[in-house]
Amino acid sequence: MHSYIRPGQFVAIRLQSDQLRLIQIIPDTVVNLGRFGNFTANQIIGRPFYFTFEILDACDDAGHQLRVVSATELHAETLLADGEGDGEGDDVDTGENGIPMRTNRQINDENSSQKLTLQEIEELKREAGGAGKDIVAKLLESHSAIDQKTAFSLAKYTLRKRKKYLKRFTVLPLDVGLLANYLIEERDAQKAMELRDEHIGLIGCWGNVHHSGNVEVGEGMKPHGRYAIVDETGGLVVAAMAERMGILYPHDADEDPTEEQDPPAHNAAESQHTDEPPKPRRIRPQPMSATTNTITVIHPYSQPNLSLLKFFGYDTNNPDESHPLHTHLKSISWMQLADPNSDPLYANEPPIIPAEELAELKQSKRTAYYHKRNRWGRVKAVVDEGRAGNFDGLIVSTLLEPASVLKTMVPLLAGSAPVVVYSPTVESLVELTDMYSTARRTAFINKKRELESQSPEGEAVDLSSLHEEFVVDPTILLPPTLQTSRVRPWQVLPGRTHPLMTGRGGAEGYLFHGVRVFPTTQNIQAAGNVRKRRKVETTSTPISDRDVEMTS
Amino acid sequence: MTSPFLTRNAVADADSLALLQLRRDQIIPTILRDHDDENQGYWEGKVTNTRFGSFPHSTLIGQPWGAQIVASKVDTGSRGRPSTKRKAEELDAETTTGAEEDKKRPSLRAPVSADSGFLHILAPTPEAWTLSLPHRTQVVYTPDYSYILHRLRVRPGCTVIEAGAGSGSFTHASARAVFNGYPGTEEATKRRRLGKVCSFEFHEGRAAKVQQELKDHGLDGIVEATHRDVYEDGFLLGDPKTGKSPKANAIFLDLPAPWLALKHLVRNPPPGQESALDPESPAYICTFSPCLEQAERTIRTMRKLSWLNISMVEVAQRRLDVKRDRVGLDTEGVRGATMFPKTVEEAVAKLRSDEQRAKLIRENRMTKGQPDYQPIAKETPFYKEKTDVPVYAQGRLTHRSEPDLRTHTSYLVFAILPRAWSEEEEQKCRDQWPSAKVAKPDNEPKTSKKQMKRDAAVERARLRDEQKQLEEKSQLESGDKIEEEKLEKESTEA
Repeated sequence: MHSYIRPGQFVAIRLQSDQLRLIQIIPDTVVNLGRFGNFTANQIIGRPFYFTFEILDACDDAGHQLRVVSATELHAETLLADGEGDGEGDDVDTGENGIPMRTNRQINDENSSQKLTLQEIEELKREAGGAGKDIVAKLLESHSAIDQKTAFSLAKYTLRKRKKYLKRFTVLPLDVGLLANYLIEERDAQKAMELRDEHIGLIGCWGNVHHSGNVEVGEGMKPHGRYAIVDETGGLVVAAMAERMGILYPHDADEDPTEEQDPPAHNAAESQHTDEPPKPRRIRPQPMSATTNTITVIHPYSQPNLSLLKFFGYDTNNPDESHPLHTHLKSISWMQLADPNSDPLYANEPPIIPAEELAELKQSKRTAYYHKRNRWGRVKAVVDEGRAGNFDGLIVSTLLEPASVLKTMVPLLAGSAPVVVYSPTVESLVELTDMYSTARRTAFINKKRELESQSPEGEAVDLSSLHEEFVVDPTILLPPTLQTSRVRPWQVLPGRTHPLMTGRGGAEGYLFHGVRVFPTTQNIQAAGNVRKRRKVETTSTPISDRDVEMTS
Repeated sequence: MTSPFLTRNAVADADSLALLQLRRDQIIPTILRDHDDENQGYWEGKVTNTRFGSFPHSTLIGQPWGAQIVASKVDTGSRGRPSTKRKAEELDAETTTGAEEDKKRPSLRAPVSADSGFLHILAPTPEAWTLSLPHRTQVVYTPDYSYILHRLRVRPGCTVIEAGAGSGSFTHASARAVFNGYPGTEEATKRRRLGKVCSFEFHEGRAAKVQQELKDHGLDGIVEATHRDVYEDGFLLGDPKTGKSPKANAIFLDLPAPWLALKHLVRNPPPGQESALDPESPAYICTFSPCLEQAERTIRTMRKLSWLNISMVEVAQRRLDVKRDRVGLDTEGVRGATMFPKTVEEAVAKLRSDEQRAKLIRENRMTKGQPDYQPIAKETPFYKEKTDVPVYAQGRLTHRSEPDLRTHTSYLVFAILPRAWSEEEEQKCRDQWPSAKVAKPDNEPKTSKKQMKRDAAVERARLRDEQKQLEEKSQLESGDKIEEEKLEKESTEA
């Protein structure tokens, strides 16, 4: 939980211009916000999130320069515009006959109303040394048509000018939702596949991604919460799923039962038993060693691109061992999954050196030996585990052809495990949905049966021609569903409520999902409408689009 | 008890919830029983009847999740009029004691597979449950609740207040979102906060149903459902005035008048009462109102109560149907296809061939009386040639919105209430992090690129050495691991 700003943490700072900046808060440094001024990081460390600070012109005696802006103050402009500031319920100034009294009839659509020139404003800025309030007041004073403005347009004008000149900022916790918005608004949205909040929510829900709990894995059970993820958004999807699984934030580890208690409690315990022997050194957790609540990332190159995880304190190049992702995030390349023996890391086991021989080796050689053995063991364990499958869900947001991913991955899923494929555009997913159409499924089953009846008794059936014709097995994923979602933001003010006038375009974003099932080996007919079935018999075409007609 | 929603076995167990999927939106939730708890008199024990056949639970229990299950031949007709023999048995049973009755119950028959009909047995998820749950009130569907839970930053270990449990779809989804362990199984020493949902419902009947449902689903340890009018009595657990605070991080209000409940969600409650919010984290709220007036009024109240970042959105979701659209003269008899020329060329060719044939018929008619008259041979039209493309891949791939859209569900109002911050806390922070302290002067002269590169190389070498040393250490440590573990055990025991 983001209860306060921790030192070393990345936070988001929303400026008055509604710009977002991601900044790492390092103690004893200065944070520079460009034209909105600067402040020392110490002044916000330990403070709660969502506070709006104003940078004052002068420091107090202790050098403190920030003032917390209260909510009432923040709402003042909106409340004024709300028609509540002046106690009026009715907002549009209307005359007796209901005609608006003040309109824009008299207002010239020119920039001549503001009597201050640009130079004068620049001078003001220099003189005031950043006292934004003064500038705004001066600007309002020297506006010639200020009395022609309605209350709202005045409020709007003031607000706009304040946004430009006031040195205020709000500190927000950097979580997945905020990062996604930041990438869309401030960065190249396409790199993160234009993934929006609504789709992040849908992916997590339809993927049934959640924490695996504290249940011991007993007999007849399999390890809980193992998810396979194919992510080409730079780690945004991995981060979103890790957030849902409670393994994204470094301080999530404090709450992890396998970890030690957090320092304050530890100190308290020590002070009581001072004569206790010093605690044995902490055992370093092996990377990728967790068995439950894990994410397995499957990547096309030798290393996965998960660079966005650095904002959550996990740098894949230089991983922090105390971060929960260190043990819970595993990665396999497609080659390791499809053909592990082509991978030198997997296939070439470093020869075991007997202990006595090892003792004679130089220190550095011995280290190298252990390093190699450990790495090999780790890779082998992760790859073998991945190839054994039984994943609890598959989340895909990829540049690869989705059907090729599903062809490999769906057979590796446990029964009833969900499959979710996100794509910014619809075309690839329409094709994918068609791969699982009822007509194709029927044709697949018929062809499979035909092949089985042709092959001699007791011999393995050669299904290669079947897999040539059908990219994916349409009988092991049901029911293929395609959807999209978009939120529409509104402006809410009494009498002036409407959807926002402008919004962001770009990719709509689509989601395909289904559930892994096991078809029965029995030859059965679907029950249902008799009339329709007769039609199936008379024509050779698989004609239906509905499940009723499905035979399997 | 564990919940099949959160942690489940590899197979469907007796006495736990399973979802029987007939087709995409037809899912029947049922609790699997190895005995006929409602005593409906089937020979096969407990049976679920569907439009695609009958499914005795003995054919479902023990099956792996996701398995396709074949319907069974079940005699549904004669059980209403029991045979005289059974009647006699029942009369006997009435006179005997309960234990004997169990023995006398006719042994169950093994189910026989039917010729047609099947379903898939799926493990429960909040999404499938939302599609199949018994409707008591308007349901919060997946597109809405997924977005709401994401915006409310609901994560494992959070506490969520939900008012207006309604049909329970949001309850299930939020239980999954906060879940990080079942209470009671944790050792007392661990200071870990377990995720919790506090659900309030003012309708007595619905509240009771929700409570029963949560119990059946094994979620009663994670969700605490209370029958309460929250406008009047607020959100404290137990007694409305002196009860314990749920310490909520997130609040979801699906109420007709959310503004009436907001006064109970403040940082400084009336003296003697606890705040229902978690004092150590920001509180996130979402209200769910179908009408604009409700949303406006809620927002006005939120502004007065110092909520920040107030925003309102609506979620528009649609499902898409994917179909192959076939147009062409060769589609006669193909369902869903339009028999119509595909191209101008096909239209011209069709006209031309029709014209030629008409001409042929005319000429043929002229020779009708003559001795060498022969009727025109039937010929297959040019467009009826066979293609190699299988039927499932013919036509153009298209997508369109599903026929029935949910065009409006509700207006979602979001807001955030930061944690309270006192003078003392601020002073403590200032003492710990001196405001003016800056380690390095900001205007340090910039080093040249060359120098930076040189420095970086030195740094890299140093890091390498360090890394090596660390690894050596780790090797040593891993060697000592077992011993260390022993030591640790002893020390904890002591």
